[in-house]
Amino acid sequence: MSQLTREERLVDMFATLADTLIDDYDVVDLLQTLVDTCVSTFEVAAAGLLLSDDGGDLEVLVSTSEESRLVETMQLSAEAGPCIESFRTGTVISVTDLDQGPPDWKPFRTAAREHGFTAVHAIPLRLRETTIGALNLFQQQGDSLGDRDLRAARALADVATIGILHERTLRASDVAREQLQNALNSRVTIEQAKGILAYTHGVSMEEAFSLLRNHARSNQLPLALVARQLVDRTIIF
Amino acid sequence: MADRFAAAADALSQMDGDNSSLTTPILDIIPVSGAAISTLGDFLGSETISASDALAARIDELQFDLGEGPCWDALAAGVPVLEPDLRSAMVRWPAFSEAVSAQPVGSLFAFPLIIGPLRIGALDLYAVQPMELGSQDAKRTEVFASIVSRHVLRRALREAGATDSGDDGPNSRRIIHQATGFVIAQLAISAEDAHLLIQGQAFSQGRSMREIAEDLIERRLTFELNDNAIEVER
Repeated sequence: MSQLTREERLVDMFATLADTLIDDYDVVDLLQTLVDTCVSTFEVAAAGLLLSDDGGDLEVLVSTSEESRLVETMQLSAEAGPCIESFRTGTVISVTDLDQGPPDWKPFRTAAREHGFTAVHAIPLRLRETTIGALNLFQQQGDSLGDRDLRAARALADVATIGILHERTLRASDVAREQLQNALNSRVTIEQAKGILAYTHGVSMEEAFSLLRNHARSNQLPLALVARQLVDRTIIF
Repeated sequence: MADRFAAAADALSQMDGDNSSLTTPILDIIPVSGAAISTLGDFLGSETISASDALAARIDELQFDLGEGPCWDALAAGVPVLEPDLRSAMVRWPAFSEAVSAQPVGSLFAFPLIIGPLRIGALDLYAVQPMELGSQDAKRTEVFASIVSRHVLRRALREAGATDSGDDGPNSRRIIHQATGFVIAQLAISAEDAHLLIQGQAFSQGRSMREIAEDLIERRLTFELNDNAIEVER
């Protein structure tokens, strides 16, 4: 991947994130673009982003693959692993040796190894004292992520957080809460829509998600809206 | 009248958790003397959940005890059983007809409570004087019965302590949501109903929602619409 392409990607992503401060946007679409950009820009095999729900539990909102074992690995990291650690402390947790870490990380470690991951970086989505979730980057053998890359990833996470929380934190924190919960609820709808497409087209969940994304893109509609219409049976494709 | 019906259906939908007065909105609209709602059969056991008066409750009780009557037939066939003149129905339910003949019951209309493959119970309406139930009233009662079915199932699941979503495994919620999508596509029903169906199916088989969800996604289990009746294919 050439240096220029990489920089262009980063600039595009920052510009997209900055747009959220000006225009209306869909949280799910924005964050999906963010994790996709991480994988296309940095040497990481997979990326996923988790947000905290009403009950304070972290849930996977978007990931670069819908493969259930990857989602499960991230969910385990959110129970006992770098993800929850990063969320709790509000700091970047980089695990370059999976043997490191407390004993209760075992389920996460096992799942990560089965997936061929050798290192993981959890970056908090934090604005001052408020942490709303964490961005997770997974590396496989041979992937290298330098300090500058990590700083860039962190900056992406920071701007995304500001985009999500801007003004709202200042006005009323429960409005921000509500918006995060709405984003997580749209994830529920997206999963249901994937199920509908997987059944009607006879395809895997992964392919079903591609169908959903392609339809949203070609019609320039937010992913969550298309999913809602499928679930409400107001559209069929 | 259509507005009054919509308001009554709305009121009935809002009554989750309060079973004692479930028949009130129904009797506001349907011109019969009384109504009772009962669970029937193996799934939830036979029990009257709500009755507008003692006679309505007695009619259901007689049918439980004798194991025959319109409510059983309605549930077995999955369609309403309308008996405008109960006195002429001696042949169909000899024991029940004889037992009920001492009571002032002219007509009996039984509507099944069914959600997908789950047969739950019946909504029974009676009239003191023999009467015909018009087709509009019959259709409206079917709408009421479908709302009542959801209340009754939710209540049963709550009482049984059935959890809303699987806690077995970190990915359970996603799998259940995906399976909900399968059921939406298979039966053309709402997400809420599809979720309730998976929950009910899990409860009736003593398995977890995640297990049912996996069966659906792996296509080992399919809900199908057949002549308006929903069937389970395994």
